[in-house]
Amino acid sequence: MVEAPVEDKRITLKEAVKLVPDGSHLFWGGFGFQRPPMAFAHELVRQNKRNLTIYTCGSEMDIDILSGAKVVSRFELAFYAIEGIGLVPNIQRRIREGVIEIEDYSNLAMALRFLGGALGVPFMPLKSMLGTDLLAKKRFRSKKAEVIECPFTGEKVVLVPSVRPDFSIVHAPRVDREGNVQIDGIKGEDVEGARAGKKVIVLAEEIVDSEFIRSQPDQTVIPNIYVTHVVECPWGSYPMMVYNYYDYDMEHVRMYYDQCKTEEGWQKYCEEYITGVNDCVEFLQKIGIDRLMKLRAKKPFPY
Amino acid sequence: MTKKYAEPEEFTTLELMAVCGSRQIKNGEVVFIGTGLPLIAAMLAKKTHAPRAKIVYEAGFIDSNAKDIALSIADSRLGYRASAAIGLIETLGLMLQGGHVDVGFVGAAQIDEYGNINTTYIGSFENPTVRLPGSGGGNDIVSSAKRFVVIMMHEKRKMVKKLDYLTSPGFLDGPGAREKAGLMGDGPSLVVTNLCQMDFDPDTKRIRLATAHPGVSVQQVLENSGFDLIVPKNVQTTELPTPEELTLLRAIDPSGIYIPRAK
Repeated sequence: MVEAPVEDKRITLKEAVKLVPDGSHLFWGGFGFQRPPMAFAHELVRQNKRNLTIYTCGSEMDIDILSGAKVVSRFELAFYAIEGIGLVPNIQRRIREGVIEIEDYSNLAMALRFLGGALGVPFMPLKSMLGTDLLAKKRFRSKKAEVIECPFTGEKVVLVPSVRPDFSIVHAPRVDREGNVQIDGIKGEDVEGARAGKKVIVLAEEIVDSEFIRSQPDQTVIPNIYVTHVVECPWGSYPMMVYNYYDYDMEHVRMYYDQCKTEEGWQKYCEEYITGVNDCVEFLQKIGIDRLMKLRAKKPFPY
Repeated sequence: MTKKYAEPEEFTTLELMAVCGSRQIKNGEVVFIGTGLPLIAAMLAKKTHAPRAKIVYEAGFIDSNAKDIALSIADSRLGYRASAAIGLIETLGLMLQGGHVDVGFVGAAQIDEYGNINTTYIGSFENPTVRLPGSGGGNDIVSSAKRFVVIMMHEKRKMVKKLDYLTSPGFLDGPGAREKAGLMGDGPSLVVTNLCQMDFDPDTKRIRLATAHPGVSVQQVLENSGFDLIVPKNVQTTELPTPEELTLLRAIDPSGIYIPRAK
């Protein structure tokens, strides 16, 4: 009997980001404060990437950093703010400067666009956006959405184009080196978004043994068949949260928000926490172990 | 038995707004909400008249029984004693668009006299002065929930004749417009502000003053509205919170994250 060799998809964060050429289209995982690929965002800034297009439902401080650093030129999304605090400052400036454009959809529309891409069909129907400017106004797409009458019932539905981005970027709690992904708590649109990407990079809090994954296969939400690369990235969503792992650091988020009200403040933040450090480990050292340990989830609470 | 109410000086306007929102939730209903005041309102409803209400958050938390106040709709706090944690296709697609949601709660930066909502841009689409958060799940919620409630602050620049951008549909341009557009839900049922509660005239679908909060005059509501508001002959005062509701409310948000304590 031949023992199948365990495939090893592990690479470093720096290597993973190097794979993303300027001008790439990315599915951006996480939802709101939950599991944003923050470490990946920092490394995109450090490697000075340009002209990316990002597809996501709702993202916050992570994509504001990408906007501030002018890594992204276009977004197709449904929501962009820092909940509980307010409108995100960098995006306001970049829109005024004309360096960033947003094509607006609803959350369901975006989630279905990822599902459509994952299913290999060119569009998806939905019952949102009808009668509104989400349908009537478009920014840069030649076609954004279209209303048709259902050929079977005559009912009005909106069609939205499926998305097949070059890369899907997802931050997960656990993955094995073969790329089997387990996500605790809400999945947002990551289950569909991961499957939509031509290449899929999974960052994870822990790389666990395949035997652990295989002892609870019902917890696997993205099987390894979809996954191209795996990156070990503890605290990779800090200062946001990962369910069952750690809480958000609102003090840091508020400091970011206050500082980014001015361009100089943003530049200072970027230099201090992103470009001024070598990698994600140095960033975490700067935050400090005491501060991180206070944020660890306290069971039975997932935060 | 007559209901005992608190005196107007015993509560703040935000507390009254949360209680108004809470009373829109019926026992056993499936409720779709975001963070902020609607979150507090739904938590209060579950502790008072609607213990069997099921609260759904679009990020994927279902039938949440959170103990602590969440800042984000994806906040892990909402996962505590929830019945399920899934994702957007589940909540916004299968549950909401599938027709299982009774009432949705949304906020608004601007609202017009047909209950249409803007949460995307202030200024022109070509040259906006402010980029607001966008639809998020707001458009989906008001499109497909059986009815929806808006909670917002009452200011002239927010209650407008014409929206800068129509993100989420109320009654669009009047009677029959939602049906013609192909929308599933019945549209807005109530707008709760810091001055009053407004509903919609069943024939014209235009916004109408329902109740004024204690100490607020009809004139004050009109002066703070940029649209034409239907004013009935007799405007009642908003039903006040009970002492029990206020006690529970303060226990739900003890550190005043969404409802700061009165000084």
